[in-house]
Amino acid sequence: MELLKTSLHGDHLALKAKMAPFAGFDMPIQYTSVKDEVLAVRNNVGIFDVSHMGEFFVTGPDAIKFVDHLITNDFQNAEMLKAVYSPLCRENGTIIDDLIAYKLNDKKVLICVNASNIQKDWNWISSKTQGFNIELTNRSDDYSLIAVQGPKTEEILKKLEVLDSTEFPYYSIKEAAFNGENIILARTGYTGEDGFEIFSSHAMARTLWIKLQALGAVPCGLAARDVLRLEVCYPLYGHELTDDVTPLDTGLGWTVKLTKENFISKETLTNYKAKYQLVKLSLDKGIPREGYSVLNGDKEVIGKVTSGTMSVINNKGIALALVEKAKISADKKYYIDIRNQQYEAIVHTKAFVTGGHK
Amino acid sequence: MANVPSNLKYTKEHEWAKLEGDILTVGITDFAQSSLGDVVFVELPAVGKELKNGQAFGVVESIKSVSDLYSPVDGVVVESNADLPNSPETCNQSPYDNAWMIKIKLKNPADFNTLLSADEYNSFLASL
Repeated sequence: MELLKTSLHGDHLALKAKMAPFAGFDMPIQYTSVKDEVLAVRNNVGIFDVSHMGEFFVTGPDAIKFVDHLITNDFQNAEMLKAVYSPLCRENGTIIDDLIAYKLNDKKVLICVNASNIQKDWNWISSKTQGFNIELTNRSDDYSLIAVQGPKTEEILKKLEVLDSTEFPYYSIKEAAFNGENIILARTGYTGEDGFEIFSSHAMARTLWIKLQALGAVPCGLAARDVLRLEVCYPLYGHELTDDVTPLDTGLGWTVKLTKENFISKETLTNYKAKYQLVKLSLDKGIPREGYSVLNGDKEVIGKVTSGTMSVINNKGIALALVEKAKISADKKYYIDIRNQQYEAIVHTKAFVTGGHK
Repeated sequence: MANVPSNLKYTKEHEWAKLEGDILTVGITDFAQSSLGDVVFVELPAVGKELKNGQAFGVVESIKSVSDLYSPVDGVVVESNADLPNSPETCNQSPYDNAWMIKIKLKNPADFNTLLSADEYNSFLASL
């Protein structure tokens, strides 16, 4: 099957990015160096083409009620213009995807989903509309999406006059006019830093991409994006989150609001006892990688690394690992097997890196 | 374009080799370091380790990837670059000099002749 191209594909080639297939798209993996790109986001500002991601709109009188019913987190009580992160679960509690739902107004919700799950999510969500007075549209092909991330994001977007001086809290959204066109600005991201995600037409995305670079924003690829999200312990679908686990197994208990009146999976999750636990591990020597075995203090295999990398900020190997809860040893020790050698891991209760988002 | 010094021999695994007497020095090529990106971890064998042609002898890792290193000949490791694991970025800065990896005492000197010349390696790179 031929790979899809985002509206910025030609710009990535012009920048001589290393390209690779991702979720059916030919995407930039890195432009110059993963390290430099990560540092640009932590210290300055980086831009990512994430146009491959999916955008669904729910409109109509029951829009908010419907989205609240779909997801495990509380959407009903979120303030207007707020964004809510949540898993999307089946009745049996397993995770279909994770998403951000944006409350644009009382009759309009934008849902942003993972590129690899667009069809799966669409099939699921559109099968659940009965009894709700809503209209559901898949606008994934109509929108480009640029993530602008890093401590200098606000400054650069004000210079560009994309942002004005009015207050714009973290995890909120606004529809705005820019160069005579309507765009959607969301103060969200996947790096742990302050930043915005800009939903726009394809032509506008190209304009923004060029203008942002002229103001010093550094193009960053999917490799840097993965390191950045892992440093702040954000889960990724297909790794920490899969069709086989519930949010309670994989560190997302905080997104399951069992006090909500009703939602898909409420019944199962109310009585669910987690089988797995997601642990944050680092190594003094060696780099944990996805699939490596994790052992307990008795050297029994109890799980696997779901994501692993070298942290650019800590200069250490870091990992998220899914382990069987019942097999965690009393000494709470973990070892990671790298090429048949077992390295004792350091257990972290907080993220490896603290992002600067507000 | 990748730098391919004409005085070295090469393998299709993107390693270079230099023969002095019956000692072969081995490292990774400029093409290899450039493809890997920022090298952040290097694991090399202990002195005395016996290697077979094609056997994995170590590992080089970038932030996002892991690559095995393969012995281009049969032989015994007589020296391992002890500085390299402490400064893996040297692989990116100086692949043909400071980032040499191991020295192997050749078991069968004729093995050396099976390696690629710079011209052959250049053609191989062009075919990728």
